[in-house]
Amino acid sequence: MHGTDLQIAICGSAGDGTIAAGDILKRTMALMGYKVIAFDLYPAEIRGFGKCIARVRVSSEQAYSLKHHSDVLVSLHDGHAIPHVGEVRDFGAVIFDDAPIARVAEGGHMSAHVRPAQIPYGASLRAISEQASGNARGRNIAALGYLAGLYDIPPEAFQQTIMRKFAGKPEAVTEANMQAFDAGYDVGAGVFKLDDVTMEPPSYQAEGARAVMMTGNGATVRGLLDAGIECFFGYPITPATSIMERLAQEMPLRGARLLQTEDEISAIAATIGAGYAGARAATATSGPGLALMAEMLGLGVMAEVPSVIVVSQRGGPSTGMPTKTEQSDLNMAVFGASGDAQRIVLAPTNVEGCYRCAGKAFELAERHQTPVIVLLDLYLSNRYETVIPPKTNPFAPKPFEGPSVGGGPFRRFAETPTNVSPRALPGQAGGVHTITGLEHNELGRPSDLPEMHAAMSRKRHEKLIAATEHPGLTVAKRFGDEGPVPVGILGWGSTFGEILEAMFAAQAEGLPCTAMKVVMLSPLPLEHIEAFFADCTHVLVPELNYEGQFAQLICGATGKPVTRLTRATGTPMQVEDILSEVRRLAATGQPSEGETDERGLEASLS
Amino acid sequence: MNADWKPVYLEEKLTEIRADGHQGYRSRSLPTWCPGCGYFSMSEGFTIALREMGIAPENVVVVSGIGCASRFPFFVNTYGFHTLHGRTLPVATGIKQANDGLTVVAVGGDGDAFAIGAGHIPHAARRNVDITYLVFDNGIYGLTKGQTSPTSELGFKTSTSPYENGDMPLNPLMMLLSYRASWVGQAYAGRPHHLADMIARAIAHRGFSYLHILSPCVTFDKTTRTYANLDIQVCDVPDDHDRADLMAAMAMAESSDYPALGVFYEEQRPTLGDVMEEIGRRARSVPIHGGVIAAE
Amino acid sequence: MGEPSRYAIIGSGSAGFGAARTIRERDPEARISLVTISSLPFYNRYDLPKLFLGVEDWRDLLAVPTEVFDMLDIQLRRASRVVEVDGRNLTIQFAHNEVMGFDRLLVCSGGGGYLPAALSDYRHLLHDFGSFEQAVVTRKAVPKGGTVIMLGGDMIGLDLAFTLVDTGHKVILVTNDHTFWPHQIAPEERGELLDALTATGIEIIDGRRPTAIEDIGGRLPRRMVFSDGTTASGNVIMAFCGQQPSVEFLLSAGIDIERGILVNTQLQSSNDAIWAAGDVCQIWSDAGKGYKFYHGWKNVRIMGEIAARNMTGAEEAFDDPDPLAIRVEDGRIWSSFWEH
Repeated sequence: MHGTDLQIAICGSAGDGTIAAGDILKRTMALMGYKVIAFDLYPAEIRGFGKCIARVRVSSEQAYSLKHHSDVLVSLHDGHAIPHVGEVRDFGAVIFDDAPIARVAEGGHMSAHVRPAQIPYGASLRAISEQASGNARGRNIAALGYLAGLYDIPPEAFQQTIMRKFAGKPEAVTEANMQAFDAGYDVGAGVFKLDDVTMEPPSYQAEGARAVMMTGNGATVRGLLDAGIECFFGYPITPATSIMERLAQEMPLRGARLLQTEDEISAIAATIGAGYAGARAATATSGPGLALMAEMLGLGVMAEVPSVIVVSQRGGPSTGMPTKTEQSDLNMAVFGASGDAQRIVLAPTNVEGCYRCAGKAFELAERHQTPVIVLLDLYLSNRYETVIPPKTNPFAPKPFEGPSVGGGPFRRFAETPTNVSPRALPGQAGGVHTITGLEHNELGRPSDLPEMHAAMSRKRHEKLIAATEHPGLTVAKRFGDEGPVPVGILGWGSTFGEILEAMFAAQAEGLPCTAMKVVMLSPLPLEHIEAFFADCTHVLVPELNYEGQFAQLICGATGKPVTRLTRATGTPMQVEDILSEVRRLAATGQPSEGETDERGLEASLS
Repeated sequence: MNADWKPVYLEEKLTEIRADGHQGYRSRSLPTWCPGCGYFSMSEGFTIALREMGIAPENVVVVSGIGCASRFPFFVNTYGFHTLHGRTLPVATGIKQANDGLTVVAVGGDGDAFAIGAGHIPHAARRNVDITYLVFDNGIYGLTKGQTSPTSELGFKTSTSPYENGDMPLNPLMMLLSYRASWVGQAYAGRPHHLADMIARAIAHRGFSYLHILSPCVTFDKTTRTYANLDIQVCDVPDDHDRADLMAAMAMAESSDYPALGVFYEEQRPTLGDVMEEIGRRARSVPIHGGVIAAE
Repeated sequence: MGEPSRYAIIGSGSAGFGAARTIRERDPEARISLVTISSLPFYNRYDLPKLFLGVEDWRDLLAVPTEVFDMLDIQLRRASRVVEVDGRNLTIQFAHNEVMGFDRLLVCSGGGGYLPAALSDYRHLLHDFGSFEQAVVTRKAVPKGGTVIMLGGDMIGLDLAFTLVDTGHKVILVTNDHTFWPHQIAPEERGELLDALTATGIEIIDGRRPTAIEDIGGRLPRRMVFSDGTTASGNVIMAFCGQQPSVEFLLSAGIDIERGILVNTQLQSSNDAIWAAGDVCQIWSDAGKGYKFYHGWKNVRIMGEIAARNMTGAEEAFDDPDPLAIRVEDGRIWSSFWEH
């Protein structure tokens, strides 16, 4: 990557303002016109002093994932940050407080842990803040000032972000933070820079003004809103809760309704009820919630009711690891329900994809009269990327066309060339009908005749196939080298960022490489996938689960072998792991999964 | 569908027979209930109530769960959603959220309501969702051929409690009253005219109305909740009962040996729809800090 | 087997690093902490003049690769200022509010540049060359062909002066009592040595007493004013007037200190647990019946190694090495101070 590409990690304890500092940093960088990708880690516990880490990758060109190594680590709490000092690359920087007010336990200070090839910067962050503003709480902001001074980043953009961040707070608070920043800046600017971290001026300043920082969940919300969501029902669950929280603020402004239900069953039941009554209705949950929703999902398939279910995966099974990321709900998203219950599943791979998938989900749900799952994961839900919002809303809903009132009873499940039947909404004369979770005939009346079940099963499956050619929706996309290559990487969801980075790295090493993301996991865009297989000697499928659920899905659909690269650590995939597997496949054609599995585990636990 | 496969619908042949207004509320499907089942009078009472209230069939949605009672939507000529076991109320809530203009009636039996679906009742009641909930209580699982239900009496013998039921039966009226359902009443399948009247009053209520309907299961309960027994037990809600008095309603619900028929409790308070409208008004009058989405 | 011994070494120059490596060789179990105020790993100070030879990156000055610290399992504590050593409880107090215990301590914190009292008000106008960071700042202040005024001219300074002259800079040497420090120069030798400097291209100002330093801006912003009213201007002024030991943090260590830490021939201080090596210590000389400083790169390195061996059970003496020698060879000055 040319130009700037650095990753800054800020680590502290809950209450140190770690996440807030990371937030100001990434917004400032976006404002300046850099591309930003960021991911915060919080403790699962609400109380206490758990570890928080904000990682921000700042680059001139769009990056696709966080880097395994940070260039700079800022410690706001040495106890938490010391275990992470190893993530700083050689000749990178470690910034810490060299004048803490409390006695430090022996060996508990960062200076004892900075690796010999890293550069330690002791900065009296607490004292700087206290002297500047009379308050030690501005340590985090003083640290940002120090960073800006050290790396010669113009302070104006920071000051602007700080003003915005504290807008609505008493003026004294803003003032204190500005003072802490300025004081930190002065100190940082006076420090002799010994590391080799560099920043070049951003190259996209014009876009900077329009660029916004968004999380995957934030972009999902934006997509749902732009698509005209009318009803939302949800039950709080990490990491999907912020979707409901933001919708709760925004929907009433637009006359739309949000209800916090008593559980996930109720949430999806009401979503399907509202969908039946013609509203664009959605719910959002995580794996455990999706498990509760499975029966209702089957009803949505059987009764052919549109609904949108956003699922942000976390570590499982069961309650699992609520604050860790994983891609292990693919099977449940694609198959979970009794019977043959095919539905549409979309898995965006980046923040902008969240917006597109969420925005298109209603259209798909309505056109194909089916539940649509938008499958995210914690790493995608919570990570920030710079996105340029579209100037006009691409998802504006079209008015519903009522039933053509003819003679006789309304044939809700009538046979049609597209296998999609006419639909009528309660309140519409001439469309009166009853739908059911029982197998039924064209009228929706219960029927368990063998021919009926066969015909209806076929209809429910066939009607979805056209979804793989839905206009304006990327269902799969290939990157990298064209034509036949030794190794192709096939991926889905948030891991695709690391896949792309690995592909670029392989190409930079002179290894021809291609990568394809599959966004529509159900029904599978087989044409794209088979063309990809035809070009690749080896297909590598990296994903964050133990068994390789996507690999299984692909093998089942294509009947072709793949090389799995699976990780069940609760942490994002590492570019280096994918890359070394690509190298191995390119060189020998022999995968060695056991070995890489262990290495990945070690690296993630360290 | 297969080109050589031609379904023949009995209901289509019967269309012309059902010409009068009342039949307009009945569907073309014949009820599948056993001859003599109490549910016939409920179905009849419901269509009478709709006709008398002048509500057009297309503006009515009947939502049901699973069970004998839940087959109800197939037998009335309104929009209908035969959902899952126990999930009637959340689906009905969703429909009402989507379209306040619809008359939404949730229907279920005692198993659907008080076993698998019991968790949803307090929430629909406290939110005062403007729907009507008709629970047909025969104290037994009929569709699965006679098992114990949450309202089965102590000592009742069924296929799943062959050595007598030892579980204390629920008192649905007490539950609904304590959940603050804003309209609670009771009717009996053996008094169809009163039942039709009560259904009409329940639908007319603005807010969450709960009508408990006692019914025998003529097939699987020959001893306990029979027409003969119920005829003797039921009585009328006294004329001087104060329908605004929650404690009095609870006292009446507590004496379940002699079920009182009529309105137990009634109050007017904002419905879920009212609350939603109010939230919208508040949201639009109070600017949210910084334009949340724009900044995010 | 008891707990491994804890060795603390203050100062990460050649004495400190050499001591750490020696301790590791002799005690595989030892816990070794190398403490320094510097932000860089071990580099040789005598290599700093290379900055004028085109070296820009500190990595090119490293005495050992950074991996060595891990290989030898030496904990490197940088950016760590020691404010106090407690000789009774055997602890080190850091400025960052941490207390570290030790079983044995080696102090080789070296010395800081000495500045004659008459010029102490002008320190802010002087350039330094004591660390990589200072050296870079100084180099940047001296353009190609620029002028450096050097006050004193100790052996560290002269080493730099030769490099400056060799790289096309002008050096004005203002001599004083510290010229050729730490050599004791007999008056009859002085002339020959100064002539040799002049022959190298260094301009000598001899016998004038500087009274002030001024910032006059312009092309040659630093001006030295002498008592006779004359002046000399240059890009930078640097003082090289010998070293004075850095011992402030040892005042409550309960060890004997005169100018430096007083140690016996085995480099052990009056506290059995504390040793010293390098420019920071004065070593007992039986011959001289007194405590003497022993300067010079090689002496410093050897002292570190001997101290380390003695800390790990040996009983070696650092006794009377060859006295430092200086002479003119083939027109250039040669000094054993510069031997590595």
